[in-house]
Amino acid sequence: MTSEEKLRLLRGDVDLFASAQPDTVLAALPDWGSLAILLIIVHFEEKHRLSVAGAQVRGCRTVAELLALIP
Amino acid sequence: MHSSLSHLRIAGLAVTTGSVVRDFLADGLAAGVDRAALERTAKTIGLRERRVASAGVTALDLCADATERLLAEMGLDASSIDAVIFVTQTPDHSQPNNASLLHGRLGLSKSAPAYDLAMGCSGWVYGLHQAALLCAHGGAARVLLCAGDTLSRLTNPGDRATDPLFGDAGSATLVEKTGRSAPMHFVLGADGAGAAAIQVKQGGARQPAGPLAERTDAEGNRTHDANLVMNGADVFSFTLREVPGALEAVMRHAGYAPATTDALVLHQANRFILSTLAKKAGFTEAQTPMAVVERYGNQSSASIPCALIDGLADRLEAGPLKVVGCGFGVGLSWGAFAGEFGPLTVAPIASFPR
Repeated sequence: MTSEEKLRLLRGDVDLFASAQPDTVLAALPDWGSLAILLIIVHFEEKHRLSVAGAQVRGCRTVAELLALIP
Repeated sequence: MHSSLSHLRIAGLAVTTGSVVRDFLADGLAAGVDRAALERTAKTIGLRERRVASAGVTALDLCADATERLLAEMGLDASSIDAVIFVTQTPDHSQPNNASLLHGRLGLSKSAPAYDLAMGCSGWVYGLHQAALLCAHGGAARVLLCAGDTLSRLTNPGDRATDPLFGDAGSATLVEKTGRSAPMHFVLGADGAGAAAIQVKQGGARQPAGPLAERTDAEGNRTHDANLVMNGADVFSFTLREVPGALEAVMRHAGYAPATTDALVLHQANRFILSTLAKKAGFTEAQTPMAVVERYGNQSSASIPCALIDGLADRLEAGPLKVVGCGFGVGLSWGAFAGEFGPLTVAPIASFPR
């Protein structure tokens, strides 16, 4: 799956990312916080069958870094 | 660990909640949180209001009230109870345990042992397993299982990620030995390496009471060492990782499938977790009671009995129902169960003091 496809899936599944770009800084998103991290964990689990820990998500600075967690 | 125990039944259930109603939106606005953000969180997580204990009321009081109402509903005398198990992480004192205090309060027989299990959100299942063991192998005919906490007292009002979640409640479950051989199945497990995800550091022997320094995390949530501090994302990852497998294993032992099971009753953490778990386990939302957390909050070890009563009371009274469920949380630990519940006696949910 390409980075563009991963981003498209994320935008369609989690409202918070509706207009996000690869260089969008996660902490700058409105509503960024513990709930957003839960939504990302579920998105990875359901769309990519990927289990990630909260610390892995918190360790990402941008949307591109977040998507790079997906193999 | 898998365990299947037969010749027992749940004879009755009761839950007593705290009497103070806290409103998620009003509390958030008072704390200066943006209304739109609160509404989005409320919708996603399923938070509306919760019931917390009034000043001076403890988990022991809530469980004692639930027990007295259940015994009255069933027309039973407390002297008929052969053992008491009390599941709590918020006991009245560090010594003696809550079970002994309840034993004295109810005037139970001196031949009835009374002991606590220090478990949280998974604890009702562990208590049920203990009670089932006492009935199946321990010579008890009727065991009182009390499970409850007052976790709302442990969170920091400045911790907006955790403080709005918890309600206070106590439950009473009567487990009886019967001639019925249909077994109850359990799958219990722990991941102690993840213990730091939910903890109250201060108050035990390792870190007794002392000065408290408040700290602020990256999201602005304030906590100190006597607070219940929870890493919500790590707890959520743990839940998604362990609970579906435990449910699958316990259903395999029971010979159950989602389509032929009447209900999936999970620890009522929040609606988001429940709907995610139900979907992952192959159950519909209609099979999965999840209204408790919106009305009462996360009630720790009292949440599964509360969900059984709140979502299934009439059907349990008529019974039997094939029920599968799982408690999960502090430890980290989990306990899944599967079996036929009912017909049984249900005392309506009440608050204390009334």
